[in-house]
Amino acid sequence: MNVESLSERGARARRDEEVDVAIVGAGPSGSVAALHLARAGLSVVVLEQGEWPEYSDYTGARPEHELVSTKLWHPNPNVRDNPNDYPVDNSTTDINPLMFAGVGGSATLYGAQWMHFLPSDFRVRSLDGVAEDWPFSYEDLLPYQLEIEREVGVSGLAGDPAFPPRGPYPFPALPIGSVGLRGALGMERMGWHWWPGSNAIPSEKFGELNACVRRGTCLTGCPEGAKSTTDRSHWPLALKAGARLVTRARVKEVETNEQGLATGVVYVDANGRDRRQRAKVVILCANGVGTPRLLLMSGGARNPDGLANSSGMVGKRLMMHPFASILASYEDPLDSWRGPFGQQVYSLEFYETDERRGFVRGSKWNCMPSGGPVGVSGAIGSKVYVAEEGRFQDFWGANLHENVARRFGHSLIWGIVGEDLPEESNQVVLSKDLVDSDGLPAPQIVYKVNENSNRLLQFNIDRCLESVHAAGAIETLVSTPVRESGWHLIGTTVMGDDPKRSVVDQWGACHDVPNLYIMDASTFPTSGATNPTATIMAVALRNTRRMIAERRNQKVA
Amino acid sequence: MSKDKTFLALADFLIPAHGDMPAFGSVCSFADAQKALDFRVDLKEGFDRGLDADPASSPEAHLEKLNKEDGAAFSAVTTIAICTYYMNPRVRELLGYPGQESVQYDSKATQIYLTDGSLGHVLARGRKYRPTPGL
Repeated sequence: MNVESLSERGARARRDEEVDVAIVGAGPSGSVAALHLARAGLSVVVLEQGEWPEYSDYTGARPEHELVSTKLWHPNPNVRDNPNDYPVDNSTTDINPLMFAGVGGSATLYGAQWMHFLPSDFRVRSLDGVAEDWPFSYEDLLPYQLEIEREVGVSGLAGDPAFPPRGPYPFPALPIGSVGLRGALGMERMGWHWWPGSNAIPSEKFGELNACVRRGTCLTGCPEGAKSTTDRSHWPLALKAGARLVTRARVKEVETNEQGLATGVVYVDANGRDRRQRAKVVILCANGVGTPRLLLMSGGARNPDGLANSSGMVGKRLMMHPFASILASYEDPLDSWRGPFGQQVYSLEFYETDERRGFVRGSKWNCMPSGGPVGVSGAIGSKVYVAEEGRFQDFWGANLHENVARRFGHSLIWGIVGEDLPEESNQVVLSKDLVDSDGLPAPQIVYKVNENSNRLLQFNIDRCLESVHAAGAIETLVSTPVRESGWHLIGTTVMGDDPKRSVVDQWGACHDVPNLYIMDASTFPTSGATNPTATIMAVALRNTRRMIAERRNQKVA
Repeated sequence: MSKDKTFLALADFLIPAHGDMPAFGSVCSFADAQKALDFRVDLKEGFDRGLDADPASSPEAHLEKLNKEDGAAFSAVTTIAICTYYMNPRVRELLGYPGQESVQYDSKATQIYLTDGSLGHVLARGRKYRPTPGL
């Protein structure tokens, strides 16, 4: 049975039926929770505001790809303008949050860069005196990380000295290509760390996932069905295990009773009607913007500041990983339209704190191909390395041809992800003016890139320029901080032991509402500097296993 | 001036002949641009607006005015021009661009970085992470 026919089995619960668990969001964390809860025999309904992906809509293999993807598959919902998404008020942020509503979640448009958080990420207070330590350690999470890798079908090469020793990845690393080799050459000449990329893209067929064919369009949906997203990695198994999935179901409120326990959710269905899904337990997996938005919409008269918000921390401490990029062009051909797009090699040379640099914490670099001629021209669109200022003539006429000749097929991009320290002033609030297609308040982002991040990015840009020039770059273009770069939405319902300073405990249970859980990156106390999906899914698995083990002790309405 | 002539005048200013590369109008037509526009119906309004005015002065002056006064129209006209051009088979042939192609490989092949010593150098430089047991 294929994925499409399996999806037909996702039926809505009967009227007034109470299920064991209702999950909001069918992205990476919600899918992990649904699969494992259903396998444990619990009744599970997942409510997803988007739809199943239609793979024929992914244009990567077609000539019109660069024209279509800059609209239809743009990661900013305000640009994409799809009614299944909600708009975001970005008038008060330095960085736009990026996301996608649908089965598979925002990973539909991710680069599939698969990185664990490092040991120090869990102990930033102890090691560096900033932010907070996590309630658990790298070692506590590692078994879940490795289990999730097998579910996702990750390709990579074990043995990276930037991580503690670990076993092999499920599949061999993808070819790093001429782009990766050139990126590695620069790092070698500087004597710096690099390693072949680990990606959530199997190099061999795995379940519903096909082997990667290096199409290079990972960020705009994989037409090959090779990039691992949970519509292919988890949902076929979850549906077989009995989980039910309702698409085009936009949850507007988590309901609670007089004892303060969750009783279910209210959602708007595809026909615009309000429906109620009763549940013994509710899990929110709606990302670092959508989850606090829903809590802030759910307070009612008993909780005017939002549900689960006695700490006042719901929506606060938003972290989005300020990002810089360097495009470097070389004389010799690099076939730089070929994938994988996410990361052909990466570097953790500057990941750990060195106080002599003038900032704390560090960065991860990933080396990517630069794509097709329209993108590298810099003339239109929102490619991360396009300068936002300048005369239009700089990009057109003879300059267009010369820019394309110099860059197309001859360039690579180093993306620099900087750790974002939590600040309560960076937050998600409800917009007073903007609403979604159902009339619900849109989230507003209040976010400033802080001084630590600015110093961190500048230091890393300077080092990166040294590296690409060491490998023979003839042209470099720098963009920092990239406005369209809020792929990683972290920290807005922080976990911790103290109910006065945190929203959930280390298992994702809300301090205020013990049968309401949060399992996305909202709960992370700090952001690390790696791509967070691996950690999101591992933490969700850890929480889910605990929930299953403690099911008989779970307090319910 | 008709819309097709206006567009071709603007497109040829944006994308003139240069070296081995042809001008827009040498390889693409207004009909090609309209086909491209069918993929981006969101641009149609701006595209039409961008061609409304007669670029009596010069294509450059018209584009300069659009860029300053109607960014959406400027974006629509330039997006359609460049995407139509680089979708053209002759242009792709001249660039050596096969499109986002499928590339077969042997997943079990030994990668060059394992045999040329480069990854060995990384390993020789030693551990990078900070251990945390006990913290």
